[in-house]
Amino acid sequence: MSVAEFLKDLPSHNAQNFSQFNMEQGLRTSQKRPSVYLPTEDVPSEQHIVMDKRCVLLRYLKQQWDKKTLPRKRDHTNGDANVGNGTANNSCKKRPRLDINQLV
Amino acid sequence: MSHHYVVTAQKPTAVVSCVTGNFTSPTDLNLIIARNSQLEIDLVTPEGLRPLKEVNINGQICVMRHFRPQDSKKDLLFILTFRYNVMILECRMIGDQISVVTKAHGNVSDQVSIPTEGGVIAVIDPKARVIGMCLYMGLFTIIPLDKETSELKATNLRMDELNVYDVEFLYGCINPTIIVIHKDVDGRHVKTHEINLRDKEFMKIAWKQDNVETEATMLIPVPTPLGGAIVIGRESIVYHDGNSYHAVAPSTFKQSTINCYARVDSKGQRYLLGNMYGQLFMLFLETIDNGKGGVSVKEIKVELLGEISIPECITYLDNGFLFIGSKHGDSQLVRLSTTPNENGSYVIPMENFTSLAPILDLGVVDLDRQGQGQIITCSGSFKDGSLRIIRIGIGIQEHACIDLPGIKGMWSLKVGIDESAFENTLVLAFVGHTRILTLTGEEVEETDIPGFISDQQTFHCSNVDYDQIIQVTPLTVRLVKSSTKSLVGEWQPPDGKRIGVVSCNSSQIVVASACNVYYIEIENCYLAEKSHRALEYEVACLDITPLEEGKNKADLVSIGLWTDISVVILSLPKLETMYTEKLFGEIIPRSILMTTFEGIHYLLCALGDGSMFYFILNRLDGRLSEKKKVTLGTQPTTLRTFKSFATTNVFACSDRPTVIYSSNHKLVFSNVNLKEVNHMCSLNAQSYPDSLALATKNSVILGTIDEIQKLHIRTVPLGEGPRRIAYQESSQTFGVATLRVDVQGRGGPKPTRPSASTQAQNITYASNIIPKPGGGSAATTNAEIGQELEINNLLIIDQNTFEVLHAHQFMPSESIISLMSAKLGDDPNTYYVVSTALIYADDPEPKIGRIIIFHYNENKLTQVAETKIDGSCNSLVEFNGKVLAGINSFVRLYEWTNEKELRMECNIQNNISVLYLKAKGDFILVGDLMRSMTLLQHKQMEGIFVEISRDCDPKWMRAVEILDDDTFLGSETYGNLFVCQKDSAATTDEERQLLPEVARFHLGDVVNVFRHGSLVMQNVGERTTPNMGCVLYGSVNGAIGIVTQIPQDFYDFLHSLEERLTNTIKSVGKIDHSYYRSYQTTQKTEPCENFIDGDLIESFLDLGRDKMKETVMGLELTLNGEKKEADVDDVIKIVEDLTRMH
Repeated sequence: MSVAEFLKDLPSHNAQNFSQFNMEQGLRTSQKRPSVYLPTEDVPSEQHIVMDKRCVLLRYLKQQWDKKTLPRKRDHTNGDANVGNGTANNSCKKRPRLDINQLV
Repeated sequence: MSHHYVVTAQKPTAVVSCVTGNFTSPTDLNLIIARNSQLEIDLVTPEGLRPLKEVNINGQICVMRHFRPQDSKKDLLFILTFRYNVMILECRMIGDQISVVTKAHGNVSDQVSIPTEGGVIAVIDPKARVIGMCLYMGLFTIIPLDKETSELKATNLRMDELNVYDVEFLYGCINPTIIVIHKDVDGRHVKTHEINLRDKEFMKIAWKQDNVETEATMLIPVPTPLGGAIVIGRESIVYHDGNSYHAVAPSTFKQSTINCYARVDSKGQRYLLGNMYGQLFMLFLETIDNGKGGVSVKEIKVELLGEISIPECITYLDNGFLFIGSKHGDSQLVRLSTTPNENGSYVIPMENFTSLAPILDLGVVDLDRQGQGQIITCSGSFKDGSLRIIRIGIGIQEHACIDLPGIKGMWSLKVGIDESAFENTLVLAFVGHTRILTLTGEEVEETDIPGFISDQQTFHCSNVDYDQIIQVTPLTVRLVKSSTKSLVGEWQPPDGKRIGVVSCNSSQIVVASACNVYYIEIENCYLAEKSHRALEYEVACLDITPLEEGKNKADLVSIGLWTDISVVILSLPKLETMYTEKLFGEIIPRSILMTTFEGIHYLLCALGDGSMFYFILNRLDGRLSEKKKVTLGTQPTTLRTFKSFATTNVFACSDRPTVIYSSNHKLVFSNVNLKEVNHMCSLNAQSYPDSLALATKNSVILGTIDEIQKLHIRTVPLGEGPRRIAYQESSQTFGVATLRVDVQGRGGPKPTRPSASTQAQNITYASNIIPKPGGGSAATTNAEIGQELEINNLLIIDQNTFEVLHAHQFMPSESIISLMSAKLGDDPNTYYVVSTALIYADDPEPKIGRIIIFHYNENKLTQVAETKIDGSCNSLVEFNGKVLAGINSFVRLYEWTNEKELRMECNIQNNISVLYLKAKGDFILVGDLMRSMTLLQHKQMEGIFVEISRDCDPKWMRAVEILDDDTFLGSETYGNLFVCQKDSAATTDEERQLLPEVARFHLGDVVNVFRHGSLVMQNVGERTTPNMGCVLYGSVNGAIGIVTQIPQDFYDFLHSLEERLTNTIKSVGKIDHSYYRSYQTTQKTEPCENFIDGDLIESFLDLGRDKMKETVMGLELTLNGEKKEADVDDVIKIVEDLTRMH
């Protein structure tokens, strides 16, 4: 297989693109940069990316614990009508740290 | 206290990353280029790439990736910065305006984890379900791209693999699955991990392949239907999909490591690969029907296509066009051709995008002695190495060029088309004759005007009142009717005198013949002599430009006189002397011009030596005041006015053409980016609107002029990497240390390609061999055949032609570490001082080196002296006629003896490794590898060094500079600038020994070199902004910038403007400006202090008027000692003045 065959039928998104590329003055050299975008409207970001700061090991242990205990707890809550659904979460006094990492 | 203003003159040019996708609309094909802290959004069009917008990010871009959400028709951009800020951006077109919306943002840093050694990696699942990042050792950070929630929870997953080389997401997997190249004691392995997004953990290993090639570095995921991944090694390529395995080891491949790839077609059969040699390959996966209705890979094929710039990233655009982003040379637009060119290459370069990166060294040289520096940078690496000559000036866009030598004068005319707005004729004067050119469309042809005399030199020619044309020759003044082109009136000086000089406006002429001045008015078909006067001295130049706007009659004549060397203002019509101004000196005035800039009348008078006086002219009494002088060139200068963008400008024709204009009621002198212009006239022809015709020595250039001055970059390609530069005025040369990579052949190292050092006019070889410590000789390298060897050369390059006059080649193991040009002791010669080190891979630091003194004289480079040193001399400075050297942990002073030998005078060891030295008077500033800056003093009487003070905060230094006797600027390796100041008010010795940090700034780019110097003319002392000193810097990413000191009150003003601007201009990616500019290293983070971000300040000028108003509301300004509320125009003026620094 020759190189020419390799380069056959290169993808085309729009056949017009680069069709009028001017090479009359030889290789073009450009230093131009477009104008700078200066937004003055404040558009709030739709989503915040927050880091789960829990230690990998603790999270793993908790996950293992949950896996072991959750089904039992559910049995337990099912048995006890006074305790709501949220108890499983509320029973854990430590709450995960989920603050956005800020400049200290 | 010390306050500073830092601004970029040339933005970073190194390309970090590039992507192609549909960003601005589902049908627009866009290229997005990431450079340091900027994104450039381009549109692919039939004419090529059209830049749309540049977007600043408050952070250094580390990774840029794009992805398309499942139900979307447009691509989104994901960016990760060096400080672990992440953002997802969307481009929207509102009308023809782009808006860049931050869809999501946050920070994914983790204070306790250890950053990965091989840099960060970020990848996105092909189905856009999750973003994965390798930021810290043993962790894989994921950001599930959940659409419904307002919070995207980034989570660290524990990963067994510690040394990760590359990660990618695989195609066609039910759960997001990554593939990893990692290393352990046994070698490198490939492994896949399936991610459970719900539980946020790795589920299972789908497949793995132990012991892939020992230097496998890169993964390419293959889209469905093939799936799997390609593993790129140094010598081989492997395709693996869990079941089947194919390998190939192309012979063309061995030379260099593949460092980037681009997928060509969406089915994933063809890929482009680039390596550090700048070779472009195509990889093709040949497929076969697997009998189950699908396809599988049959064979991998690789072909070399041709050469490109050393790539950092490649992207396929459209119709065979590629964008090559580079960190080591110019980025490129290239086209793939199915037929090879004459060099057998299938790659055709179409456009080069100038890049200065990396700037390893730079020199500031005032080659034209105008008080304006030119920067010569050592730019680029390896084959893309070059010198770049950078000067600021106004550019001429050349549209046409006509070869015509010997032009003595040039004028544009309307002939026969008086009602038209356009001119159609150029009159060119030569010695003894005149030629007339007609412009029809873009064509130029010679013609004649019957009423003109063509066998004499024309002194002046123009359209005048009553649809007439005037021609002045040495013997006659002729009036020609434009419509008939025939002579209708004539005036000749009495007694057959010859006309010497003439000036004319549309209704008046003044003619001088020796001491006689004649004043003539132009009437319909008649030239009426109104008055005559004989002056005491001969007239050298004169002018009657009308000063009053809209009037075509002048009230004044200005005259420059021989012998007396004076300027005389005469009244019209009587030619009575109103005012005389002596210029003194012996140089005669050559050109005089009255003009009005921004409502102020000026008289400009250029002399025969290229200097120019300028005065404020009182139109009523002809008095001249506020005399100033400026040097424009070295040759007689001719002044001509022209209009550009509806304002009056003056063009000074000389060997250093200059445009003079006014801004904020001050004259500004800007260089024009042309070598020499002898004559010029403005030209407004149909095909050349708002143009200038410029006569150079051998041709006429028709072109347009840039609106503002900017940096112009000229490239001198070297074909090898320049590392150090020194300028030597006495020999009119540059010394440049370069590095060339040769390949060991049977008879020794062989150059791989022609480059500056192999093509020099003279080549010499270092013969003096110093023994390798511990036996063996540096001369006998036991390199294997085919092994790469670094060859260092000292090049001597002509300052004007940039020809390589001489190359001095060192032995393979001997590297040039530093270079300077110096005058030593009482020796009248100027020498190049070179320091070298013998570098062996097994030494922790070089143990041995040399300092060599070379003399370049009469085209010969001779070694005058050398001294052996016990280490590597990292820095050389001329110190009061002696050689100051930083050698490993020592600072050492060498004296130049009468026997032409270097003799050690004194020595101090108080550092880890002395990398940088700067000296001023007896003081020496030391930049250490990791111990920040130290100030030393040389006590001449005792012959010792004394440590004065030291910054005790550890910093890994990259460059140092002395700002003034007490203030020192440093750049460190995390992209911060800081200033330390000697505490003069300290009361105790202990305090005095400290060099406290007084200013800090995060530049977001690593500065490699500082040099004192200015980009603009310094002798024009008309600035309102009070800045002191000017230090230029060159950075790793190819940026050139300026650091200057400013007084406290000006700092306060700018600081409050800066704060207001951060409120007005919203940050893309929502990273605060104060966070971005805060000084941050792995040890500490401190807010930016006593530095003004000039780039932000200058963006004020690009705001809309209403936003400007909003920004300056309540801003206080101290003007002439009085506090007042600043208005928009005050601030514009101040900021415009600041921009004029570059």
